[in-house]
Amino acid sequence: MADSGGSEMSDFTATYSETATVESNSNHIGNGSVAYEKVDSEESLRNRRRLNGTAVNHRDEDLRKTTSSSQQNGLNFSKHNTSSGDKESFEEVSLISACLTYLGFYLLMVLGYINQLLFKPKVTKEENREGYVPLYNSFERFYMLYIYRRVRDCWNRPICSVPGAELTLKDRITPDYGWTFEFTGTQTRCLNLGSYNYLGFAAADGPCADDSAKMIEKRGLAYCSSRQELGTSFLHQDLEALTAKFLGTEDAIVFGMGFATNALNLPTLMSPGCLVLSDEKNHASIILGLRLSGATIKVFKHNNMKDLERVLRDALVYGQPKTGAPWKKMIICVEGVYSMEGSIVKLPEIVALKKKYKAYIYLDEAHSIGATGPHGRGIVDYYGLDPSDVDILMGTFTKSFGSAGGYIAGSKRLINFLRTNSHAHWYASSMSPPVAQQIFTSMSIILGLDGTNEGRRRIEQLARNTRYFRRRLAQIGVITYGHEDSPVIPLLVYLFSKIGAVVRTLTTRKIAVVGVGFPATPIMEGRIRFCLSAAHTKEQLDYALNVIDEISDKLGLKYSRKPRDPNPIEY
Amino acid sequence: MIKSITDFINYWYFRYLMVTELYMVEKWERVTIHVIFLVIFLLFWYFNYSVLLSFTGRILGITPISSVLHAATTSKFSAAA
Ligand SMILES: Cc1ncc(COP(=O)(O)O)c(C=O)c1O
Repeated sequence: MADSGGSEMSDFTATYSETATVESNSNHIGNGSVAYEKVDSEESLRNRRRLNGTAVNHRDEDLRKTTSSSQQNGLNFSKHNTSSGDKESFEEVSLISACLTYLGFYLLMVLGYINQLLFKPKVTKEENREGYVPLYNSFERFYMLYIYRRVRDCWNRPICSVPGAELTLKDRITPDYGWTFEFTGTQTRCLNLGSYNYLGFAAADGPCADDSAKMIEKRGLAYCSSRQELGTSFLHQDLEALTAKFLGTEDAIVFGMGFATNALNLPTLMSPGCLVLSDEKNHASIILGLRLSGATIKVFKHNNMKDLERVLRDALVYGQPKTGAPWKKMIICVEGVYSMEGSIVKLPEIVALKKKYKAYIYLDEAHSIGATGPHGRGIVDYYGLDPSDVDILMGTFTKSFGSAGGYIAGSKRLINFLRTNSHAHWYASSMSPPVAQQIFTSMSIILGLDGTNEGRRRIEQLARNTRYFRRRLAQIGVITYGHEDSPVIPLLVYLFSKIGAVVRTLTTRKIAVVGVGFPATPIMEGRIRFCLSAAHTKEQLDYALNVIDEISDKLGLKYSRKPRDPNPIEY
Repeated sequence: MIKSITDFINYWYFRYLMVTELYMVEKWERVTIHVIFLVIFLLFWYFNYSVLLSFTGRILGITPISSVLHAATTSKFSAAA
């Protein structure tokens, strides 16, 4: 970490030696508000900013961001990224806002109980069940009926078009505060900031859609059988070969469902007596797979390498519980881009730990494949590592490729083992032909096999959109989580009311976004999650950003206490 | 002028509804909570006024302004008589 930061800093000093010395000196002075008036060149003019005492600790980070902005918005892919933590930000909210959030939640709970006492909920009840315990968890039920229900119109909204850069929402109203909904019969065309359509391959026309439609005519819709029986065709074999080529591994295996790829293959690879180190923010499918496997699970703090090493070393020293016998094997389970936090895994450090302690790495690239790295090959490509450093590369086709399904890639031996042992390979029905064709065509485009540089263009467009959107949001003064290169951008709003108000207001301004609340996040960290796509144009993003700027004043979303960049952000 | 004041009040009332999560509840629930808030506020006020004020006054040795005024007026009257 230290030397990576150093190299960036030295770049910086080389280019702006004048400004750098001025500003680093003022770091020591830096309390109270300081206005930098020294103007040496055009570059330092751009670096000029005003800050106040509380913000001084964020300064280094900001300087570095300015550096990368001058390298053409960081699109300079020649230098490999390093995982120094300064590109990632998890700004904490003030204590007062935190207390108010909890207070509001308790208020909602109290009101919920009063409401439940006074009125019968408008839902079906189990009858003739004397002596039975309730089948459903009572707190969850209460939460669904009296907290979630009040803002239910912001979730599960029906759409009636392809979710590309824009989508069509089917309008609905609720006459009774979310108990029931009625369709009004009208539709709204909205800008779509909520789909995992990172490379914009979800489209109703274009080569992917045409090829898939042709494949339906040729092969039908399904094989209705598992891969081990009658479900294998040349399509799957070609797709596996192409996936292996795309990722730079020896072999790959594909499955018809991403969730099942995790949930059913992890138990194949692990058994009781194995040790799993799992990030606390891992996806439900990984957690399910790990629980099914019966392995001992140790959870480490999100993206915290010190904690990982501590947990790993402790587990290694004490061995298996009760017996103290050595572990059969150790696996570190992480994701590439975390879909709720917008953070990127610190893979170089994990690879170093893996080599030190002789553990294996299981990397879930569901959100990073296609979306990160100069060639769109995911996190391994992003950090410029060797694919063979990661033992098990898992990913899904559901996001960047605009299709469905999952893969596991790695050494030939690993894949052969999975082919003979995996439940998903033996028992789950195989991938449908048009779905496979969609992946095949989109992957060929990313690889440039179609003879154009369309794939390259999309990857660069996404990287550019991401940087632009994140930096504009920081300028607006809202709190966003995560890494500056991650196309998933959670905007923290904290309160349930604010989730509801933001989603509703943005819908009236023709922008569709996704809110994420309690069961998926901690109680006090409600957020709006933007997912950018290569299909978005600068004009669309500008429109969205202007609206967000406007409403964040109205709704009070400007929680950030970091210094803001006073200069216009270039695209 | 009046419009800007009502705008200001509306804006901060809306922000207050947001922060207390009352934005997303039904109207009668909002009223109930406001009544409860008001009752709590009045109780506090009464408690502070009647108990806390005289208690702290006695500890800090401050004579409440009302009794000073009262004493002053009564002495004036007695002088006139
Ligand atoms: C990290 C991760 N793994 C696996 C999955 C499951 O993929 P699918 O939706 O294709 O079943 C998801 C999907 O949301 C995910 O985020």
